[in-house]
Parts: sequence; C-alpha cells; structure tokens
Amino acid sequence: MKGFKVLLKKEICEIIRNKRLMILMAIFVLVGIMNPTIAKLTPKLYELMSEDFAEQGITVSAVKVTAMDSWSQFVKNVPTVLIVLLIMFSGIYTTEYSKGTLIPLLTKGLSRSSVVLSKLAVMLLVWSIGICLCFEITYFYSDFYWDNSVVSKLFFAAFCWWLFGVFMISCIVFFSSFAGSGIQVMLGTGAVYFSMTLIGMYNKAKEYLPVRITDSVSLYKGEYEPKDYFGAVIVTAMLSFVFVLVSLPITHKRQI
Amino acid sequence: MNVLEVKEIKKSFGSKKVLDGVSFSVPDNCIFGFIGRNGAGKTTTMRAILGLLKTDGGEINVCGERARYGCTPKSGCIGYLPDVPEFYGYMNAHEYLKLCGEISGMGSSELKTRISELLELVGLDKEKHRIKGYSRGMKQRLGIAQAMINRPKLLICDEPTSALDPVGRKDILDIISAAKEQTSVVFSTHILSDVERICSCVAFLEGGKTAFSGSLEEIRAVRGNTALELTIVEPNDIERISSAFPDGRVNDGKFILPQASEKDCADLMAFLSAQMIPIARLERREADLEDLFMEVIGK
Repeated sequence: MKGFKVLLKKEICEIIRNKRLMILMAIFVLVGIMNPTIAKLTPKLYELMSEDFAEQGITVSAVKVTAMDSWSQFVKNVPTVLIVLLIMFSGIYTTEYSKGTLIPLLTKGLSRSSVVLSKLAVMLLVWSIGICLCFEITYFYSDFYWDNSVVSKLFFAAFCWWLFGVFMISCIVFFSSFAGSGIQVMLGTGAVYFSMTLIGMYNKAKEYLPVRITDSVSLYKGEYEPKDYFGAVIVTAMLSFVFVLVSLPITHKRQI
Repeated sequence: MNVLEVKEIKKSFGSKKVLDGVSFSVPDNCIFGFIGRNGAGKTTTMRAILGLLKTDGGEINVCGERARYGCTPKSGCIGYLPDVPEFYGYMNAHEYLKLCGEISGMGSSELKTRISELLELVGLDKEKHRIKGYSRGMKQRLGIAQAMINRPKLLICDEPTSALDPVGRKDILDIISAAKEQTSVVFSTHILSDVERICSCVAFLEGGKTAFSGSLEEIRAVRGNTALELTIVEPNDIERISSAFPDGRVNDGKFILPQASEKDCADLMAFLSAQMIPIARLERREADLEDLFMEVIGK
C-alpha cells in the first residue's frame, strides 16, 4: 500500500511535468466549449451556405437549434477525446518495462501490483476529471443558451460514457501486462472495440455489449430508459474488473 | 559469513545455454570482481540474483534468504546498479533518491540526511538540473547513490565503468571502494585493471561456468611463478637461447620463459653472460589477471 501511494505521487508528477495532463485537460475543456458553440453556429452556417444550396435547388428553411443539438455534439466528440487519451496512455506501462526504469524500484521491494494499480489510478483520475469538466461546461452553456430539460437522462448518459472510458482503460492495463510496446497495446484495445462492434451487428448479444452504453442519443430522446442499459452496464463493469484482475498475475510473471 | 551464495545456477534462452552451473560466494565486506567476456552471462547471473529472471536450476541465497523469481529479496538487502541505468528524466537527483527511499520504507528525517550524504559521496550535491540532461557518468553516479540509499548488505554493480572515460572510471571506482566500508560489492566487468585496483575476490565466468573463483592472493599463489621476458640486441642470437632453454617461446622478437623460478633466472643470466649475448632488456613479469583470464578462456 505504501508503494502504491509513493508511486501514485510519482505518476501524478510525471503527467504534470511531461505536460500530458495539461494537453488532455485543454482538449477536454475545448471540446466542452465546442459542443454548444457548434450547435449555436449551425443556423449561421446554414444561412451562409443557403445561397449555394439555392443554386442547387435546395431551399433551407430556418433551422431551430435546441439543447439536443449541443448534446448530440457531445456524443460525437467524446469518443475522439477518449481516443486521444488512450493513445497518450497506451505506452504508460510498456515504456517503463522496455526502458528498465522500474528495475531500481522493483529491487527495492516495490510490488508489481502497486505498479499496475498506481498507473491505473492515474488514468482513471485523468479520465474522470476530464469527462466531468467536459460534461459540466457543455451542461452550463447548453442551459445558458437553450434549456437542458428537453434532453432526458443527461447524467445517466454521461455516467455510461465514463464507464465506457473505464472499460477501455482497463483494456490498456490488460494488454500492457504482456504486450511489448504501446502500439501493440493500442492495436489490442482497438481490436476489442472493433470485435464488439462486429458482434453487435450480427448478434442478439448487442444489448449486453459495452458499446451499447455509448448509444446516448436514444436515451436523450427518451427512446430508451436506463433500465434498458443495465445489462450492458453490469457487463462493462464486470469486464473492466476482470481485465484489471487478470493483468496482475500476468504482470507478476512478466520478465522485466 | 557469506552475504551471497550462488550454487550451480543454470539458464538457457531457447537452445542457447547461457549459464551452465555457475557457483560462487561473496563474503561480508568484500569487493567481488565478476569477470567475463561480453555475453559470458554476467548480467544474466545478476538478474537471477535479483529475482528478475527465472533460472532453470540451482540455488541462490542472499543474506541467508533464498532468492526466487518475481520476489525481490527482502527489502534493504540488495542494492542494484544496472549496466545502463535509466531514470525518470523529469526528476532531479534529489527527487529521484527521495522516491527510492520512500519505496524502501525509510522515514522522512532519516531519508533527508541519507540523501544529502549520498549526493555528496557521488558528487552530485550541487547538481540541481533534471536527470534528462545528465551525462552517462553522472547517471552512473546517481545509479550508485540510488543503489545504496537503504544501506543494503549487498551492492550489485553491472559493468559500472565500461562506458566511462578515465576520469569517470576513477570516480566510480573510488566511490565503490568507499562503499566497501558499509556493504559487500559484486562488481561485474571485463576491464581487468579495474578489478586489480579495487577487488579482493574474483570469479571468472566462461562457457556458462565459473572457471575460477577465489581471492586475489589465491590467484597470485596459483600463478606464483613469474615469467621472464628477454629482449636481445641481435635477432640472430634468439635461436641459440631457444635451443638452450626449450621451455621458452619466442613472441614478437622477444624470448619469453614462462613460470621461471629463481634458478631459471640465474641460469638464463649465466648463459647470456657465458655466450656473450648482448641484451637490451631482461624483465621479470608478475603474472597478472590478464594472463589468468587468457588461460581461462583458452587463448
């Protein structure tokens, strides 16, 4: 436990000093501002382009923007930020293993579990703070310009996105326990995502797949209720837990 | 008492047998030179001692405790300096040592004094920059400091001087000599002059086995007889000397009489004077580690 605390402090110092935290937070804030801004500018853009449309024979009637448009942007942009975060953290374990920076610490009695868990903790921390910031900024502006009440289950949808991020982070932890480089970790994590999408296309298991919880628009529109997502939420949480749990003994056996 | 005992350890990587029964022991307060060619298995042995590598057989005892793969021997027992130490470039030396000390479970007041003590010992006390700007020699010195932070009973240094300039090498050797007061040191190298300078015991690793192990005195006793090296003025005389002393050999225009006793020396001088052979130089050469090393590796 002591090793975990010391290492967590080191990990936080690392992301601050190598500017990773600053870049990620800037992206989260930027996206948070962008969501309502794009929604707000949509009518203006249509207006600017209406002449072109008119030449092509398309008439553009006045577009009415609501908070729903702002939140649709949120759902479109959060995956991009998540991908950036995953890419930035894909090498968090493997670079330490390959460079040998952990060896002096391990020979001083640091447990490998502390290494796995402290890095997981810092990734979860960044993701949680980031998505909260992004959500709050979008929430504030959407409410300021329009009215958030037209969009239902906002908080539950945000929770689902957070959980999905946790799942993807646990994939990084799992693949890092045996992969040799950050690229391999990234490929593994990507493969998990694509196989889930493929299974979801042809199979009735779709309701229980982690990708299911990223369908926020249906929630916003009230087409689905949170109870329709519970199966997928439980599966996602369980899978994340299992991935982290399995990575501990594998890392323990790993040659460093 | 022995701080480290290595018994018959074996390790293969695929079909390549790297260690095939390496055994040696390191007594308390001794600087132990672990000598072998590049690729002889020195690093592999050290990593096995540290529990970073799984061996195929044999036993390793560190401070009386059996070392196992994946488990570092009990905290505070071993300090390790890797051959190319890698640190977190965004920290400075003080911060890095603090991290190491905290992981070893040292209290903050003890750690504070220990860090300033060590930074002074390795000459980094005035260095305020981050580690990413350090030279190789500075990294080696920081490496020694981190290895000694928790006052280990055994300090393992993997080729600490191999890539350093003469000044850096001297510094590192001086630091290791000073460390002897507090700990035993295992020091792997292929630079024999370093071993002669600071080690009191040595082991030669060749062909995956310990070819020789003992104290420097024991080695000198084994190789007690010195060689005579004769340089003559007239190259033509060399044949006359060779026929009179069939044990000798000619090397590079010089006549060498290996393992020559006092009597051999007197005989040679009497022969030279009787035959009126003019000489440029006659030298008694102490058998050194290099001779032994060459003999061990069969060259």
